[in-house]
Amino acid sequence: MGKFIAGKLLQYLIVIFLMLTLNFLLPRLMPGNPLVFLAGEDVGFMSSAEKEAILDKYGLNDSILEQYGAYIKNIFTGDFGYSYQQKRPISELLMERLPWTMLLTGLGLVLSTVIGVMFGAISAWRRGTRTDANLLTVFMFLSAMPSFWVGMILVSIFSAQLGWLPVFGAESAWSNYTGMDRLIDIGKHLILPLATLILISVTSTFMIMRYSMLNVLGEDYIMMAKAKGVKEKVIKYKHAMRNALLPVATVFMLSLGFTLGGATVIETVFAYPGVGRLMFESVLSRDYPLIQATFLIITFSVVIANFLADLIYPLLDPKVGSRNG
Amino acid sequence: MVNQKWKKYWQVLTSNNIGLFGLILLVIFLLIALLAPILAPFDPSARVGDPFMKPNSQFLLGTNDVGQDILSELLYGTRISLLIGVIAAFISILLGCLVGIISGYYGGKTDAFLMRLVDLVLVIPFLPLMILLAAFIGPSFWNIVLVISLISWASPARVIRSQVLTLKTKGYVEAAKSIGTNITVILGRHILPGVIPIALSQFVLAASHSILIEASLSFLGLGDPFTKSWGTILYYAQARGAFLTDAWIWWVLPPGLLITTLVIGFAFTGYSLEEILNPRLRKER
Repeated sequence: MGKFIAGKLLQYLIVIFLMLTLNFLLPRLMPGNPLVFLAGEDVGFMSSAEKEAILDKYGLNDSILEQYGAYIKNIFTGDFGYSYQQKRPISELLMERLPWTMLLTGLGLVLSTVIGVMFGAISAWRRGTRTDANLLTVFMFLSAMPSFWVGMILVSIFSAQLGWLPVFGAESAWSNYTGMDRLIDIGKHLILPLATLILISVTSTFMIMRYSMLNVLGEDYIMMAKAKGVKEKVIKYKHAMRNALLPVATVFMLSLGFTLGGATVIETVFAYPGVGRLMFESVLSRDYPLIQATFLIITFSVVIANFLADLIYPLLDPKVGSRNG
Repeated sequence: MVNQKWKKYWQVLTSNNIGLFGLILLVIFLLIALLAPILAPFDPSARVGDPFMKPNSQFLLGTNDVGQDILSELLYGTRISLLIGVIAAFISILLGCLVGIISGYYGGKTDAFLMRLVDLVLVIPFLPLMILLAAFIGPSFWNIVLVISLISWASPARVIRSQVLTLKTKGYVEAAKSIGTNITVILGRHILPGVIPIALSQFVLAASHSILIEASLSFLGLGDPFTKSWGTILYYAQARGAFLTDAWIWWVLPPGLLITTLVIGFAFTGYSLEEILNPRLRKER
C-alpha cells in the first residue's frame, strides 16, 4: 500500500520535473532571439538598457545551470515571472482567473458524472433494448462533436437568436450587482459554458458506468438476489449501482485533465475569464511566459488530482490496496 | 490463409451495421477530398463575391468575411482535415507499434521503463501541452501533425503491448525461438501479422481523435494559415462574430457537422473493428 503510493508519487514528481524542464528549455532552444520568447515581440522597440535589464532579470548572462536553479526556485516560491503584454505579474493574473476555471470545471465534472452514471446505469439495465441502442448512439455522437462548436451553436441559439442568456463573460460588466442579484447574474453566464462542458465530457462516464454495471449484473450475487425474490429496485440501486460506481470514482479524478483541456477551448468561445481563456489570450498576443505559466498551472492541477485519485482508490476498493502490497 | 482471414474480417465488418455505416461515411469523405476540384464551384482562396453574402443560387452557403465561397472552402477543407487526421494517426500508431512490440517482446527492465514512460505521457493534459508546443514551434501543417502524433502514441502502445504478450506465448513463436530463428524473422513473420489487425483498429480510432484535436488547435488560431481546415473556417467565423448573426446557419453549422460526421465515420469503423478482433468484447455486449 505504502509502496504503491510512493511509486505513484515518484511518477508524478517526474512528470512535474519533465514539464518544468520542457518549459525552461523551450524559449532557450527555439531558433531566434530568446528575448522574444521572454518579453514578447516588442523587444524590437526596446532600448538596449531595457534589454539588458531583462537579460539580467532572467539571468540569461549566467550559466545554463544557474539559470535553471533560479527558474526552479522562482516557480516554487510562486513567482511565475512577468507578463510584458499585460504589464502585470503572472501570479496575480493566475490568481484572478483560477476561481472561475475551478467553478466551471468543478461543477462540470460533478454534473457530467451524475448524468453519465444515471444514463449508464439505465443503459446497462436495459442492455440490448431500443433504449440502450438509442442512448449509445446519442452519447457516441456527443463525443464526436468538437467542443468549441457545441458552444458556438448553443450561443447562436440561446443567446443570439432567442436572447435568453448572455453571450459572453462570467458576469455583466459595470452592473454593480450585489448579493443575490450578482449570484443570479453569474449563474446566467455560467449556464451555457457549463452545458457545453457537460455535453462533451459526459460520454466517458456513461461508457464506463455502462460497462462496469454490465459486469456487476453478471455477478453471482445479483442472480442470487433475483432468485431470492429481492425487489428489482433494490437490486438495481443497492446491489448493482453501488458496486458499479467504483471504476467511475477513478475516472472522475482522471478526467480532470480532459475537462481542463476542454475548458480551455470552451472558455475561449464564451470569453469566460478563466485560466483556459488566459492561455488563449496569451497565444494570440504571443505572450510566451504567460503561455508557459498557464500550462504549468493546468499540469499541476491535473497531477494533484491524479494523485488524490490514487490515494482515494484503495479506500474504496480494498482489493487494490492488498494487491499492491 | 492470410487472405482468407482478411476476407472473414471484411465479412464481419460489413455484416455489422455500425461498421458498414462508418465505412460508407469514410468512403464518401475520401471521394469528396479526391474530387474537391471538380465538386467545388470556385477556387476556395479566390475572392469571388462580396464579403458576408447570404446563401443564393451562385453561392450555396454564402461567402465569408473576405468574399470567398464557403461551400468551396468546406469541400477543399475535407482534404486538410482528413490528411492531418490520417497522417498524425499513422505516425502515432507507428510509434505505438514500435514501443508496444519492443516492450512486449523483450519484457523485463525495457518493458518496465517503457510502460512507465507511457504512464507519464498519459498523465500530461494533452491539449494544453499541444497548445504550448504549437505556440512555440509555430503554426504549420507538419508542426500540427508532429505535435498530435508525439502525444497520442501512448495508449495504442499499451494495447499493442498486451497483444504482443499473448502472441509471444503462442506455440509457433516458441517453436521458432527454440530452433534459433533470427529475431527479425520472428518479429516480422510471426509477431507483426498478429499485431497489424489491432494496430489497424487503433489507427482508425486515433484518426478520429486527431481530427478533433486538429479542429481544436485550428480553432485556437494555431492552425496552418495557408491551408484552411474545417477548424480554421470556424476560427474565422468566431473571430468575425458569425455565430451571433443569422450567418451561423451557413457558416458555423456546416463545418461542425462535417467534423462530427467524419469523426463518427472513423469511430464507428474503429469500434466495430475492435469488436471483430476482440472476441471477449463480442461476448460481453
